[in-house]
Amino acid sequence: MTNPAGRAMSDSPRSRIFARVQQASRPADGDAIERELASLGAAPSADLPAADLAVAFLANVLKNFGSVDCVANRSAAVKTLAEYLYRHFRSHRLVAGNDPNLAAMPWREAGVLPRFGTVEPGEPVALSYALLGVAEIGAVVTVTGKANPAANNLLSEHHIVLVDSTRLVRDMESAWERIEAESAKTGRPRGINFIAGPSSTADIEGKLVYGAHGPRNWHVILMGDVPATALAAAHTLAGR
Amino acid sequence: MKQTSNTFLDNAHAALQDPAKVQRRDLLALFAPLIRSAAVDSFGHFDELRQQVKQVKQHTLDHLDHYLEKFEREALRNGNHLHYAGDGDQLNSIVLEICQRHSARRVVKGKSMVTEETGLNDFLKRAGLRVMETDLGEYIIQQAGETPSHIVGPALHKSAAEVRELFLAKHDLGERELAETTDMVAEARLVLREHFLKADVGIIGANALIAQNGYSMLVTNEGNGDLCANLPNVLIICTTIDRVVPRARDATAMLRLLVRSATGQPQTCYTSFYSGPRREHDIDGPLETHIVLLDNRRSEILASDYREMLQCIRCGACLNHCPIYAGVGGHAYGWVYPGPMGSILTPLLTSLEQSNALPNACTSCGRCAEVCPADIPLPDLLRDLRHDETRQKLSSSRWRTGLRLHAWLARQPTLYRAFTSLGIFTLHLLGRRKGGFTRLPLAAGWTSQRDFPAPEGRTFMQQYAAIQREEKAREHKAAQAAAQSQSAEQAGPEPVVAGEPRSRRAPPAAAKPAAAARAKPRRAPRGQAPTERIEPSLGTDWSDDKPGGQGHE
Amino acid sequence: MTNLPTEQPSPRPALRVSLFVTCLADLFRPSVAFASIKLLEQAGCEVSIPLQQTCCGQPAYNTGDYAASAPLARRLIQQFEAADYVVVPSGSCAGMICHHYPKLLEGEWRERALQLAAKTFELTTFLHDIARLKRGERAPIKLPAVTYHDSCAGLRELGIKAQPRALLRELCDAELTELQQTEVCCGFGGTFCAKMPEISGKMVADKLASAVATRAQILAGGDLGCLLNIAGRARRSGETIEVRHIAELLCGDLESPAIGRGQ
Repeated sequence: MTNPAGRAMSDSPRSRIFARVQQASRPADGDAIERELASLGAAPSADLPAADLAVAFLANVLKNFGSVDCVANRSAAVKTLAEYLYRHFRSHRLVAGNDPNLAAMPWREAGVLPRFGTVEPGEPVALSYALLGVAEIGAVVTVTGKANPAANNLLSEHHIVLVDSTRLVRDMESAWERIEAESAKTGRPRGINFIAGPSSTADIEGKLVYGAHGPRNWHVILMGDVPATALAAAHTLAGR
Repeated sequence: MKQTSNTFLDNAHAALQDPAKVQRRDLLALFAPLIRSAAVDSFGHFDELRQQVKQVKQHTLDHLDHYLEKFEREALRNGNHLHYAGDGDQLNSIVLEICQRHSARRVVKGKSMVTEETGLNDFLKRAGLRVMETDLGEYIIQQAGETPSHIVGPALHKSAAEVRELFLAKHDLGERELAETTDMVAEARLVLREHFLKADVGIIGANALIAQNGYSMLVTNEGNGDLCANLPNVLIICTTIDRVVPRARDATAMLRLLVRSATGQPQTCYTSFYSGPRREHDIDGPLETHIVLLDNRRSEILASDYREMLQCIRCGACLNHCPIYAGVGGHAYGWVYPGPMGSILTPLLTSLEQSNALPNACTSCGRCAEVCPADIPLPDLLRDLRHDETRQKLSSSRWRTGLRLHAWLARQPTLYRAFTSLGIFTLHLLGRRKGGFTRLPLAAGWTSQRDFPAPEGRTFMQQYAAIQREEKAREHKAAQAAAQSQSAEQAGPEPVVAGEPRSRRAPPAAAKPAAAARAKPRRAPRGQAPTERIEPSLGTDWSDDKPGGQGHE
Repeated sequence: MTNLPTEQPSPRPALRVSLFVTCLADLFRPSVAFASIKLLEQAGCEVSIPLQQTCCGQPAYNTGDYAASAPLARRLIQQFEAADYVVVPSGSCAGMICHHYPKLLEGEWRERALQLAAKTFELTTFLHDIARLKRGERAPIKLPAVTYHDSCAGLRELGIKAQPRALLRELCDAELTELQQTEVCCGFGGTFCAKMPEISGKMVADKLASAVATRAQILAGGDLGCLLNIAGRARRSGETIEVRHIAELLCGDLESPAIGRGQ
């Protein structure tokens, strides 16, 4: 066993395992290993359904059984949210994470009453602000921390995620590059979550059902300077 | 888990008795491949992806000492406790000790085949802990007291009706219909929600361990893994040493293969990376995180000829495409891992003695290798295990002797011809009217399921030898006739000259590229020096005017 | 400028082929070997039959007895390596030679195996891809409705799928209906069918059901192991579908009884 300081006991399971692994490994120094790895190149990623990152992102979110909205700015965003809340819950309430971007939204303009904090069991809808949106896989990215209580991603029936269009990246590798750049300043996040759909399961007879443990409805609002035709184009591409 | 691999045939027999279960397996075997191939086709560069990921994985295994050490360094830096377990018992003890140290009562678990391997649940239960599986499939079989039948969908062997019965019996929720699958899922969600919120310890597995930054990756569609990883105060990640990959991009590349191969999706709903315990700016998450790195013979496999098996990413595609798995289902294999990957892992992780039936449950059809995203030569490894079985004399001596006899006989062509001519012609005479046999001595295995077609007539080589003799006789006569009459007009058309040795050879035509062969010869027989030298003999020319070939007596 | 006589295109020199008939054809269905010879000659080949051939060594190899199989592999290499081409009316035997001999053998023998592999072909592949057999002046062979079973080894080790179908289109007048689940194993698997009969029985029953469902009169295939298996099950189940080797169809040999049928 080791403690966080990392001092191993001799003839421990650790040393025995390492001895066996070492015997079966090819001896090489760290630099040579790095070079060898680098020479293996990069893995191909999936083609995007559209050249425009926003259209591709929206199309893939739709293919992942999410619903989408496209808004130009924060005012439009809160109005869209108000409509969503009313349509589904006949209510103006929601729980929002502690992201300062959410706090700064003009909620009053749409008459929405957010509570900033962690969703309690039974509260039907939570709103998160995404760190990134990933076009290749139609996913939103949140990192744990004050801004994003984990429960808000997971416990409510409806999970709404706001994504800024300037925070779209092409694929998971690009997402990681951005995250690693930020981690250099703020330290490694405890958890990084790529969410690409409402919670689902096909464990009973292979039949797909939503809302296994996490949200049953996943709604993504893309906010920013996005072409007016993007939403329609995305729906066409997704066939949904 | 109690292992019943060596009663595979009995298990298979039992599995084939229930027509409803047979039909359900047939349906899965029909649809799973279609779903996978749609996803693979739509991706487009699957083979390229497969090759790149394989090269990275092989590189990682080549330098596992380096990468394991790097992961340890980074994981410790992230604030994790790291533990090493040589075998399953050690892993179980470590986990229990952590739980007891925290006076834990309730544990929630994400799906982890590694913990099935070690029997963790039962071990913790015996120590008085309440362990709740939270993956829906695992939850169902836990409630039913069964073992997983598939590594991705553990409860796919159960019908919706059976799940309904189970939930009605186990959940004390009063009168309700539970008519639809959606109702059952909603009920499981309700029941398990409470367990998530009240659990003291969360236990999950890992799909990958990233050496560069000490993160572990976990993918689910349900989100249950994330609930286990975020809500309880203590998190234990049970994983194995071969899960390490060098960088985050290597984990994400592998994911592209994994999800498409497992469920036909382009991405799992939840893909999460966890670095360690709560830090000062976190408002949630475990206060303490432990990573238990299990060996359980992986290091042995790494040093063996079966090393490529460590490339397995546990997608289950081989199961979905294996006709034997489709026929008999996962439970017949008698342990944690079924199908082609299970038929290799079970002997390697337990013993060949306890499971030698499994590598034989294979026709070498090659469908598994075709779809394996890790490009593991599964049929070759299965055959190598049969080779081990032969050398260790674990297989039936009747079969071993019979095949050796056949192989020996095939090396004595004269004897082979004599034996087969007699045997085959006898069978032909006995069977020619009806065309086949319903019973035949020494062929009970065959005839239990199908008739034995009668041979067509004399063997080809018998007929061919007879034709050659006729040729020679004709040739001789013609030569005599030609010798008698000197006149050229008398001689008829030149008879075909039989048996003329070839004196001129045309240059060999451009050969097709050499058949792709493994870089390393596999399992060549030891100490076998070629002893025979047989002169190659090329036989007669055939001309067009020979009769079709039937009925040569 | 001299008036040169117009040159006739020189006839392609005959391809010299050594035929490995396979032990199943030798023992159970010589008409497959005779049909192969006929087809190869139609394609303009000179065919020879090495007289000492017996078995390629698959049975022992697949069961894991490499020691028993290797001497047979070496024998076959010695018998055939002088040939220009080696043709085999079986995907599994051709696959054994092309893919597995190099795995089974080491050193010098492995080199020789690779060289032999480079010029060894399954029958329909050779006829279609190398010899480019065409119907020419001959009338198309009229066949009743046909369906086709792709044997696993041929399909996956050698990529045989288009060739038999192309040859059927070229040489015959036949309606081909594809099997459902055509790429699923028939359950023969060498010794598997006898070692695990019940599972094999289910697999062959499924394959037979797929064949019968096409309403074809004939099931054709390129591997006698598979065909004996399916024909045996057809007979046991009372199904009337005829099982024949593709070589028989391609040269119009339909008079002889189908596999497992009496005279």
